[in-house]
Amino acid sequence: MEIAVRRWTILPALTSRKWIKRLASGAVYGVLTAGGLVTAFPLIWMILTSFKTFEEANAPRIVWFPSALRWENYYVILSRPEFLRAFANSIFVTTLAVGGTLASITVVAYAFSRVEWPGRDLVFILMLSTMMIPPQALIVPQYVFFHRLGWIGTYNPITIPGFFAGGAALVFLLRQFMRQIPRDLDEAARLDGASHWQIFWHIILPLCRPALATAAVFLFAAHWNSLLQPLIYLQTTRLYTLPIYVTSLVNPQQVVQPWPTIMAASFLTTLPLIATFLLLQRQLIGGIVLSGMK
Amino acid sequence: MEPYRYTLLWAAGTVLFIFVSSVALGAIARWIAQRRGYSRNRLEDVFAGYAFAAPWIVGFVLFVVAPVLTSLYWSLTIYRLPNPPVFVGLANYAKLLFRDPDFRAALLNTLYIAVFGVPAQLVVALALALLLNRRVRGEGLYRTAFYLPVFLGTNAAVLLSWVFMFNANTGFLNQILRLLARAFPPFQEALRLFIFIVESTNAAFLGIQTGNFTLLQRVWQAGLPSPERVPLWLENPLWLKAAIILLLVWSCGNMMLIYLAALNSVPREFYEAAQVDGAGPWQRFRHITLPLISPATFYNLVVGLIAVLQLFEQPYVLLRDRPTLAQSGYTVVYYLWRATFRFNEIGYGAAISWILTLLILVVTLIQFRLERRWVHYDL
Repeated sequence: MEIAVRRWTILPALTSRKWIKRLASGAVYGVLTAGGLVTAFPLIWMILTSFKTFEEANAPRIVWFPSALRWENYYVILSRPEFLRAFANSIFVTTLAVGGTLASITVVAYAFSRVEWPGRDLVFILMLSTMMIPPQALIVPQYVFFHRLGWIGTYNPITIPGFFAGGAALVFLLRQFMRQIPRDLDEAARLDGASHWQIFWHIILPLCRPALATAAVFLFAAHWNSLLQPLIYLQTTRLYTLPIYVTSLVNPQQVVQPWPTIMAASFLTTLPLIATFLLLQRQLIGGIVLSGMK
Repeated sequence: MEPYRYTLLWAAGTVLFIFVSSVALGAIARWIAQRRGYSRNRLEDVFAGYAFAAPWIVGFVLFVVAPVLTSLYWSLTIYRLPNPPVFVGLANYAKLLFRDPDFRAALLNTLYIAVFGVPAQLVVALALALLLNRRVRGEGLYRTAFYLPVFLGTNAAVLLSWVFMFNANTGFLNQILRLLARAFPPFQEALRLFIFIVESTNAAFLGIQTGNFTLLQRVWQAGLPSPERVPLWLENPLWLKAAIILLLVWSCGNMMLIYLAALNSVPREFYEAAQVDGAGPWQRFRHITLPLISPATFYNLVVGLIAVLQLFEQPYVLLRDRPTLAQSGYTVVYYLWRATFRFNEIGYGAAISWILTLLILVVTLIQFRLERRWVHYDL
């Protein structure tokens, strides 16, 4: 049908308008694709560089592609015990913090969405208003608090606070999600004599899986990328997480940096993030729109 | 003791503590409700409500209320751990506001980034959202690509890739600019103009910072830079903020998503009606789209400004050990970290934290004040 129409259009005005339309849509795709390439470029360049030789990476003229697929830079970085230790440290910190935070924000979101209790709205507004306090503004007094507990130079300050439902935005996200679950479900269960804990565990929690996945991804990224707090609290090289270790690879005393090795380390550092992002991006983007606009 | 095991033990203790305090809080609430004569069914709700919300309530007291109150006092002291604080009144604030050139630099840098960076982010985000809203094929793929930098953008490893690309001589960015400038003369002229604008605005800001405008005079006297010139990104105080702004624009995917959701909710009939009345594409954009998505613009503006006030990772990685540039790249949070933890000045840091909190409050309040003038919610 489409082809037939195109073949028989002889009116020049119509064809030219069609051409303009086609050209415009081509331009839209062109701009979008260029934009996509630009946004992804730092990653692409990171990967390409990680396979180059030192000379190729620091050449006075662009060397677009490595002359061969060299794994040497990865061997170099993976044979450094400090890198492996930093990787293990990052995994430890992220797992513990994400697990603790996720469990506690789910429980708290349940209280704010499925239980009627006096003072609930007041506490909820209080929680929302804490979003106005920048977390960085609390760092100084919290540092003193952790200093008194003897927690400086341990992983406690960057993992334990999350256990207290850290992150009002995520509690809000989960609460919004839980409110959408029909009330009849738990009312029926309550008539059968189920306790709140049973309702939470057997009914609400299984239904919340998509929202929990979204929250988990956000938390994972926040802790995996975290730089300020580990810098303040860890203080010894042995405890360093990946972001601190990776930045320490740049040696300001040298004029030219060993970029291929640094980029190999950087790529290994970003790999878990990229993988999670690609796997769960649909839930993630849905979550932003839900929490952002409602 | 082994660091992992130490933290795991504390974590287990914390879980126990939270459990005990939850039950205790729930029991207290139930006891009070019982004395007020609540029915049996409601008593159970009261217990469950407070017990389930307890982790947040306890954490709020421990990690927010207590720190906020104590830091208000500490901001009035000289406090170097482990020595006890010494009360000095408003001395910290007076020094910060009137006698600390580094802090003034941090404030002015933040202002610069907010004035030039946030509008740039908004424009790019809206442009991308408008393009994506044309029902393009593979919308999801593009959306993913544009959102990726938000997810990765503050990771030090990704920022290092930028440091590599920003290198003035061999970095990718300048290599490409040189190639393009040689191939297309108009591009070269545009690049020269861009360099001139960036350098003169930065020199002007540096002049306000130091009270010394000779640099600005020199930039103006030199006029348009020579055709071979390229941006100096991380090598020169006039360029560091431009690099940070570029990073912000690169990661505006979050704003784009918000815009996209807003554009999706504009009814098609509005456009059709306008078209019948003979409104062109620009008029339709100006009089229908822009007013109807103004709540999204407002939201993006508030969130964007707060994010600029909280910048840390970007200046940390870009500035690392380039002491000659330091002042031109300080942000409030970066300076907070440096002043407090490099030199162990808890009292001074507490004062900076309070100023930061007040700044964010003021920015948000002003936004909400101005909101009524240009944001339309009626749809």
